[in-house]
Amino acid sequence: MMKEMEKKKKAHVKVNATTSTSTNTSKSIVPSASMAILIHLICGLGLVFGFLVAHNLYSINLVSHPSHTLRLIWVIESPIVILIYSFFRQNPEKCSYLKAITRGVMVLPAGALVNALGAIALGAPVGFQYLPKTINWSLLMSLFTFVPVASVFGASWTDWQRIFARTKPRRCLEYMICLPAHGAVIGAWLGAWPMPLDWERPWQEWPICVSYGAMAGYLVGMLASMGFVLVGGRWQHVKGE
Amino acid sequence: MGGKWEWMLFSMIIMGIHAIAILIFTRGFLLTRTELPYYSHCSDLPHSPCSFSPHPDPNPNPNPSCWTKPVVDRVLIVVLDALRFDFVAPSSSFPESKPWMDRLKVLQRMASREGSSAQIFKAIADPPTTSLQRLKGLTTGGLPTFIDVGHSFGAPAIVEDNLINQLVQNGKRVVMMGDDTWIQLFPQHFIKAYPYPSFNVKDLHTVDNGCIDHLLPSLYQEDWDVLIAHFLGLDHAGHIFGVNSIPMIEKLEQYDGILEKVIEVLRNKSGPGGLHENTLLLVMGDHGQTLNGDHGGGTAEEVETSIFAMNFKKPPHFSPSDFDTCELNLDESISISSIQQLDFAVTVSALLGIPFPFGSIGRVDPKLYALGTGTWSVEGTSVGHGKNQTKLEEWMQNYANILCINSWQVKRYIDVYSASSVIGFSSDDLLLVSNLYAQAEKNWSHISENWSLNKNENYNASLPVLSRQIDAYFDFLSSVADLARSKWTEFNIEMMSIGVGIMLISLFIHVFAMGRLNKKYGSYVPSSGDIGISFRFIFSCFVVVTRACSFLSNSYILEEGKVANFLLATTGIVKLRYAIMQNKMLSEAVVFILLISVLRFTIEVGLSKQAATSAFMNISPSWMLGFAPSHPLWIYTAEILPMLAMIILAYLLYKTIASGSIRGLWKYVIVGTTVSYMLILVHWASESNLLSPILMPRGIGRNNIPRLVYAIGFGQLLLLAFGQLFNEENTLDFKKRLVVKTVAMLSTCSSTVIILSGKQGSLIALAFVIGGYCIIRLENIEQDHKEGTAGNLNPLSVTQWSLLAVCLFFSTGHWCAFDGLRYGAAFIGFDEFILIRQAILLTIDTFGFSHFLPIFGLPFLAACQYLLGLSDQGKTSFVRLLSQMYMLYGLITATAVTATIICVTIQRRHLMVWGLFAPKFVFDVVGLILTDVLICLASLYYLGGMKDDKSKISHRKMNIK
Repeated sequence: MMKEMEKKKKAHVKVNATTSTSTNTSKSIVPSASMAILIHLICGLGLVFGFLVAHNLYSINLVSHPSHTLRLIWVIESPIVILIYSFFRQNPEKCSYLKAITRGVMVLPAGALVNALGAIALGAPVGFQYLPKTINWSLLMSLFTFVPVASVFGASWTDWQRIFARTKPRRCLEYMICLPAHGAVIGAWLGAWPMPLDWERPWQEWPICVSYGAMAGYLVGMLASMGFVLVGGRWQHVKGE
Repeated sequence: MGGKWEWMLFSMIIMGIHAIAILIFTRGFLLTRTELPYYSHCSDLPHSPCSFSPHPDPNPNPNPSCWTKPVVDRVLIVVLDALRFDFVAPSSSFPESKPWMDRLKVLQRMASREGSSAQIFKAIADPPTTSLQRLKGLTTGGLPTFIDVGHSFGAPAIVEDNLINQLVQNGKRVVMMGDDTWIQLFPQHFIKAYPYPSFNVKDLHTVDNGCIDHLLPSLYQEDWDVLIAHFLGLDHAGHIFGVNSIPMIEKLEQYDGILEKVIEVLRNKSGPGGLHENTLLLVMGDHGQTLNGDHGGGTAEEVETSIFAMNFKKPPHFSPSDFDTCELNLDESISISSIQQLDFAVTVSALLGIPFPFGSIGRVDPKLYALGTGTWSVEGTSVGHGKNQTKLEEWMQNYANILCINSWQVKRYIDVYSASSVIGFSSDDLLLVSNLYAQAEKNWSHISENWSLNKNENYNASLPVLSRQIDAYFDFLSSVADLARSKWTEFNIEMMSIGVGIMLISLFIHVFAMGRLNKKYGSYVPSSGDIGISFRFIFSCFVVVTRACSFLSNSYILEEGKVANFLLATTGIVKLRYAIMQNKMLSEAVVFILLISVLRFTIEVGLSKQAATSAFMNISPSWMLGFAPSHPLWIYTAEILPMLAMIILAYLLYKTIASGSIRGLWKYVIVGTTVSYMLILVHWASESNLLSPILMPRGIGRNNIPRLVYAIGFGQLLLLAFGQLFNEENTLDFKKRLVVKTVAMLSTCSSTVIILSGKQGSLIALAFVIGGYCIIRLENIEQDHKEGTAGNLNPLSVTQWSLLAVCLFFSTGHWCAFDGLRYGAAFIGFDEFILIRQAILLTIDTFGFSHFLPIFGLPFLAACQYLLGLSDQGKTSFVRLLSQMYMLYGLITATAVTATIICVTIQRRHLMVWGLFAPKFVFDVVGLILTDVLICLASLYYLGGMKDDKSKISHRKMNIK
């Protein structure tokens, strides 16, 4: 659904204690703290790798060829994200690894559509010359936001709702999905602000600074989730004892 | 009972404080000047004390002389827009040589070779250094301010007395070529004009090539006395590429070539009896530019431009450098003196022998005048070194006489201005100036007497006397110019800070009043919420503050519509998030976001219109034709869609009536609106090319239908007022009554607003209805009913409401600039111009969708939760809610305006202060006062007839529209 773009704040929304949803999560593979950090590291390195390939192999960058660079990044990043998060899918015995991957791949364009619509509502330029840029940007955004959720939770409405609308992650894995996704959206939102300024720099064009903002937000979100996982893991550990 | 009246009292107090703060701030910031409708005439001269002439002209000039004797016959004015001083002056006079210097070589060569018959002047312009204001300043000899209060409404045509007008009045033939701004300023004056569009900044060549095509052939023609050629290339090259760029240098070199040719032609024809025997060439800039190509402000780079003057006659045999205090001998051969642009109009008038423009406060510049005088004073006399002394004296005598006329004319203007202007000069200043004048005048009459007594005496002794006299006049004229500058070009920081301070205080009072109201009613409401900590409160603050901060940059002001839309979309997405969280009203949230996406495109169309104003203004009052070039499908859609929207609106109203809950007076009011809607439909149909042949011949309803609509609207208002006074029926329960009243009021306003907005009106009205409906439905989505906090003020919804209003302002094709006003709207239904009537129509058009409708529609936001059965609290808490909403709405508007005022204060030296910040300030301030007034009216209307009773009245559900 249209959740996406639930911008900002890991708000303190008063929870309606209606979360009767929780599926039995014990069966799914739970990443340990060190593993969580590793996952984030791999995702982050994937981004960096994408940039490096674009820069060194094709000698292009985000400012000179936004559309190509974005495509390169999402093409490199998507297998990493989908493969990793599908591995931690919910109910592994009911849902094969392949199915989780398929879910992720299918949600990629769907989520991109939602992201693109949200961006257009917020004022992203529309036109034929912007079309490839918007498509590649929204695919990348979809990768940051919806794809991990789809791979892990599939079509479970309550889980989507919990992660995007309530921002109430409960477990380590949910933190790892929720925080970077929110970070990416907030980063993109903030990244749009320099666009109207009259500095006449090439990076003020759509979607360059928005992409930078989204990626920065994504990285910050990953850092935050690492922190949560470390702190939370210890906390859960203590609690468990 | 008390609360209601206390609220209204607070509203009035806040309105008063706002008005005071704005008045004080405006006095300090917006320099205004009244345009006087008076003109100078040849016949005025006998009223002056200067008619005395020491030398009755031995060879009476064939041309009848007017105020001064004509010195030159023809003037060729080449205006190079945004000509920096260092484009013209030799690079040796600057510490560092830059690539763009020394490109206009021909001017430097002439200035150095021909001695004093060609000269480069450094011309100092006065801010605002925008072309329009500068051309106005150059021709009127005054100091145009940001707002010249005058009789021109819409059209920028100059109605003040000015050089061009004087030329035309005195039988001179003026030819213009180049920048079409001249045509806007002087629509009737030129006998021949070759205007080229100036709005396309990216086009470096159209205007210039047009000029070149016509300039050289015209030099061989005899059919003009004054020729103005205005080249725009430098300005455009600066805007696009900056000063240090290849296109700029190419432009300069191109001009060098052209000027060379022009001078060549003029010189060849300047022999005795030649076509240009007595022609003065002036090559000048209207303002400078910064290295980035910006102009508008008052920095040295922007105000310093240049005038090159060249006379093709023999040079005068002396230099009147004695009076020139600012001469700089920079180069061996080129001396550059300084001249004020202010002095241009009067000097040229003196040279051509026409009356000085009435409102000019410049002085006849001695050097520039001397350049021309060379052709005149030497005339007919044998030239010998021994006579130079006499010549000089004669010249000075003549010059003193001209200054006498000059001073008399300036004094006359100052006196008339102070007498007729609302905000005149202070009496102290006037006294000082009068004293100076009286002194100079006494001296002069003394000298004149002496002369007339002993006509044939030796003049030698009078030389120092004369130069003292000239100094006395200079004193007077420069003190007038200083006074005028301080009055018309300098900000009064003290008053501005006081204004800002009062505005800030008013915000505190506003918050205090809200808190007080909250407390007062707090006891009645069990769940009186702590709005202080909720997320939606913080988020609303965030949105409002973000918007306020965005006014700090000119870019965000330029794109204000998009910024507002961005923030509105953000709130919409947050609401959608809540909708997903609560799993309800998803469709409303989605519709709201879709609506914002649509609004976003209309805003962009409006903004693109801003970029190319002059092109669009003439074509169509409706933005839709803006992107409907020629394809018939587009045209049909553009014709049909508004009508369809109109029909939907009418149907909605019909359904409201049909629901049966509206009775009596209110019903008639709403029926009236439905009739108005139908009339508007007929009006549009008759105007459109599509349907008019079928329906009726054109023109029958052209003026009558709009007038009828206005009349119906007015009648409805009267009915509503009548109902307010006498119709105290309590049969309806008060909430329903309120909704009925709101519907009646909105529908009353809407018909007039829609017809004024043109065809987009109905679409925008429909967007308003849908948007408002979504906001209302989503109002309490964040909350759980179980917590029982319904009935509280929801700051987020009010913020959304206010942002929606801002978006509607921009999507109706307005923007915060005076060319953003849709002047066409003022003439819907009327052909002739009556200031007050047209101003009212224009106000309704400008602020209709952004102020009138949202403010009168605000009660829906309060009423909905009662109608939807979300809360069953009594009337008192309802009154509290409504008053709080109005307070909050006012507060949000006031915050934005305060931010604008602070930003304008901070940015008062910004390049764009006159282009962007000042218009934004004016629009915001007018909007704020209007909001305050409307809130007071709305509170009177909605709560005036309401009795405070605490009885619980059971509520019924009702569909709003």
